[in-house]
Amino acid sequence: MKTALEVSVNGERRRLEVDNRMVLADMLRDVLGLTGTHVGCGTGSCGACTVMLNGRTVKSCSVLAADVDGDAITTIEGLARDAEHLHPVQESFVRNHGLQCGYCTPGMVMSALQLLKDNPDPDEAAIRHGIAGNLCRCTGYHFIVRAIREAAVSQRAQPAKADG
Amino acid sequence: MITQEFDFHAPRRLDEVLRLLADNGEGAKLLAGGMSLVPMMTLGLVQPRMVVSLNHVAGLAYVREDAGALVIGAGTTHAEVARDPLIARHCPLLADAARHIGDVQVRNRGTIGGSLAHADPAADYLPVMAVVGARMIVRGVKDRREIPADAFFTGLMQTAVGPQEMLVEIAVPKTQARGAYRRLHRIEGNFAIVNAAAMVEGAGGAARVAIGGVGHAPVVLDVSAQMRGGASNDALNAIAGRVYEATAGAPEDLNATAEYRRRMASVYARRALAAAAV
Repeated sequence: MKTALEVSVNGERRRLEVDNRMVLADMLRDVLGLTGTHVGCGTGSCGACTVMLNGRTVKSCSVLAADVDGDAITTIEGLARDAEHLHPVQESFVRNHGLQCGYCTPGMVMSALQLLKDNPDPDEAAIRHGIAGNLCRCTGYHFIVRAIREAAVSQRAQPAKADG
Repeated sequence: MITQEFDFHAPRRLDEVLRLLADNGEGAKLLAGGMSLVPMMTLGLVQPRMVVSLNHVAGLAYVREDAGALVIGAGTTHAEVARDPLIARHCPLLADAARHIGDVQVRNRGTIGGSLAHADPAADYLPVMAVVGARMIVRGVKDRREIPADAFFTGLMQTAVGPQEMLVEIAVPKTQARGAYRRLHRIEGNFAIVNAAAMVEGAGGAARVAIGGVGHAPVVLDVSAQMRGGASNDALNAIAGRVYEATAGAPEDLNATAEYRRRMASVYARRALAAAAV
């Protein structure tokens, strides 16, 4: 059983027909080839699949693909047009070694963006709380927190650039 | 990917939703935030043959003021509950509980109506609804009923919402009483093991505490008599004893033994009351 939908993904309008059993993460990865969004637990606990849906972060493994008709989705691929022009949050992750295996990273970056939208000057506690929905097995979070802290500082210094 | 096939509907209007419920009853599962339902479908724990999304129905998310109550649309997300100015002013206890739910992503999508209809016994809203005396407004194609919180949670993850009905809004009495919410969890983002919501009116006034995670519905105690002289150690000790007795039916599971739940229920009821009484 399928559902037809129109959805905007990274600014591009797409018309799709999806199997009702598909979750949004599957649609992004398997139908649209946007494999930057990762599936970790698949059941809404790890946050690796975090994307923006209508400007707010959600876990895309816990949203039915059929349910996004008329919605606007931003994935990690929508943040930077290429590796030479990374989003400031991504640049900060690189500079601060905020990733090791990289599996949690796209979701972590999306959550960082959400946090900085809601709270442009988060202290460490606010950062840790803001990424509480994203699990990382490699880094121990220390450099992730540092990356986000630095991104917040540089975003406040250059507000025009850092819009998620 | 979910393995079982299902029909999917995304109506644009509430009357279409109610019509689908009238025609399909228990065969149709309502999908709000999906933060519980979709993972349960992925795990095969629930296999509805029809899913009716509420995410494209206008007018389900709102907070407005009536004479004596705040009226909150069932489709209001936890993030919206947490930051709504009317709720902050007239029932900050509710906003406090909402801030504890899940994580940022869950709060962006999950809804108060969905949480209450799902009725996980450890859900952060449950003791708040019980202690403030909220009313759940439920609608079917032909009827509209109000169900008080103390009659809403009828069994383990069961509510008084009928198979052809939908929870549409929640009425929360405005109050000048001070409230506090406390929860015990081992892991951030997980459901609480036990939680407690307390309300204390001014000196010598009414005091109530509700404890969740200890049964299918919150346990509610009127502790006005004990709290008459304030939140003294003697008062809180007496209340702790009452809580321990009142939670004899606490469940045992992987998270906690029954005994641990009962002892923690006493601790968290104390903490919530002490915080509310300040």
